[in-house]
Amino acid sequence: MHIMEGFLPWQWCLFWYMVALPVVAYGVIQIKKITDEHPESKPILAVSGAFMFVLSSLKLPSVTGSCSHPTGTGLSAVLFGPAATSVLAAIVLVFQALLIAHGGITTLGANIFSMGIVGPFAAWLVFKGVKKIGWGPSIGIFCAAVAGDWLTYVTTATQLSLAFPIPTFGAAFVKFMVIFAYTQVPLAIAEGLLTVAVFDYIMKLRPDILVKLKVISPKVEETPKAVA
Amino acid sequence: MFENTLDNFAHHNELRGTNVHFKVLFALLTMLVSLISTSPVVPIIITFLMSFLIIFKAKIPWKFYLKFLTIPFIFGFLTFVFMALFFGVGTTIYEFNIFNLAVTVDGFNLGLLVFARIMGGFSCMAFLALTTPMTELFSVLETFKIPKIVLEIAMMMYRYIFVFLNEALNMYYAQQTRLGYQSFKTTYKSLGMLASNLFIRSWIKGERVYVSMESRGYNGSLYINNYQNSIGIKNLTILVLFESVLILGVYLSGNFRLF
Repeated sequence: MHIMEGFLPWQWCLFWYMVALPVVAYGVIQIKKITDEHPESKPILAVSGAFMFVLSSLKLPSVTGSCSHPTGTGLSAVLFGPAATSVLAAIVLVFQALLIAHGGITTLGANIFSMGIVGPFAAWLVFKGVKKIGWGPSIGIFCAAVAGDWLTYVTTATQLSLAFPIPTFGAAFVKFMVIFAYTQVPLAIAEGLLTVAVFDYIMKLRPDILVKLKVISPKVEETPKAVA
Repeated sequence: MFENTLDNFAHHNELRGTNVHFKVLFALLTMLVSLISTSPVVPIIITFLMSFLIIFKAKIPWKFYLKFLTIPFIFGFLTFVFMALFFGVGTTIYEFNIFNLAVTVDGFNLGLLVFARIMGGFSCMAFLALTTPMTELFSVLETFKIPKIVLEIAMMMYRYIFVFLNEALNMYYAQQTRLGYQSFKTTYKSLGMLASNLFIRSWIKGERVYVSMESRGYNGSLYINNYQNSIGIKNLTILVLFESVLILGVYLSGNFRLF
């Protein structure tokens, strides 16, 4: 859920930039550490970012009749960790603003916070939690994607109602949440289903990638490897 | 595809030769003025000025530009309606006899302001997106002390976005000719296959790109040649004057309300 250019008053733009900046800076340090150790991961991070962008430009049918696009941040958070995802999401958001007029420059800080930080962190935590309980990675990734999406919407609603607390913060929050609930709750479930489908196929065709990224533990049994 | 043409215009327009720093400064400053404005007057003036520059100075076809502007316009308009109906306390302008809905003065003004700000900000962003190629924007970001690693990843990402968009489109057509996307269920199956195959392909491509770059002497950083024309005192003066007039406009029109 992008906040459009010019939607937020300038005080809030500044505030969200200040909140988002330290996390992205931390992510940059993480990425630097990864790429210094494994230089070959640099192009891989880049193509993953491009993958996120392309995924977000695919249309996804939803129950309410509305169409939306998957964010792909849940998948990325599970694969690369939330810190690196925040950097990738920041770059993707800039591209989305300049190439397809989604989001904006002044609202970039707020968008990074909701979609690049809160969502991925939630998804990552949920995935780890489900893994700890002992359920399969498919259930984990479904819960992660859905939780990431929902928390993104809650964050966006909070940001909007903080900026427009009319008549009070609580009342505005309820209004925004009601609108989001009708359109976005089914969407989040739709994205969860799609993410599971994506994850399952990757697991079937190239489990070695997932093992390399430490998403799943290496299997003892031999899995048939598809010709890529 | 839509993205392709946008990129195309960024490379071929009449303002392509203008200094990048100047264009970025101009767009961002104007965007900020539009943002701090407390009345819809200045943002609307900015919208028209920017549109004029884009269509008559940069010579972007007006049809294409209007298409670019429809998304923010529809969104902005919906926001305006939403705010006018639900975000007001106080006197009403017009009452609907159904559902207890009413347009209030506060709500109407707030909605109009936000709508104007969205359009103003978007026209500035469109100016930047349509006149400046992304690679040149990166060179500006470098002077803002954005870490090199981020810029490199962003640059490679930019390249691969177009590669993958083509690939995704090819796969999409291939799936459609093989009875994909027929019903709700198959749509999910097809989309899942498409996305995961895309991921695997991107992964393979990423590994191969690294090998090919390494074999051509890649040592961890990319170098770009970016020659720029100088800004010139005249342009700089015009810029300062223009922004001052806009800020003055913001100050003078600060209390303007339609109702």
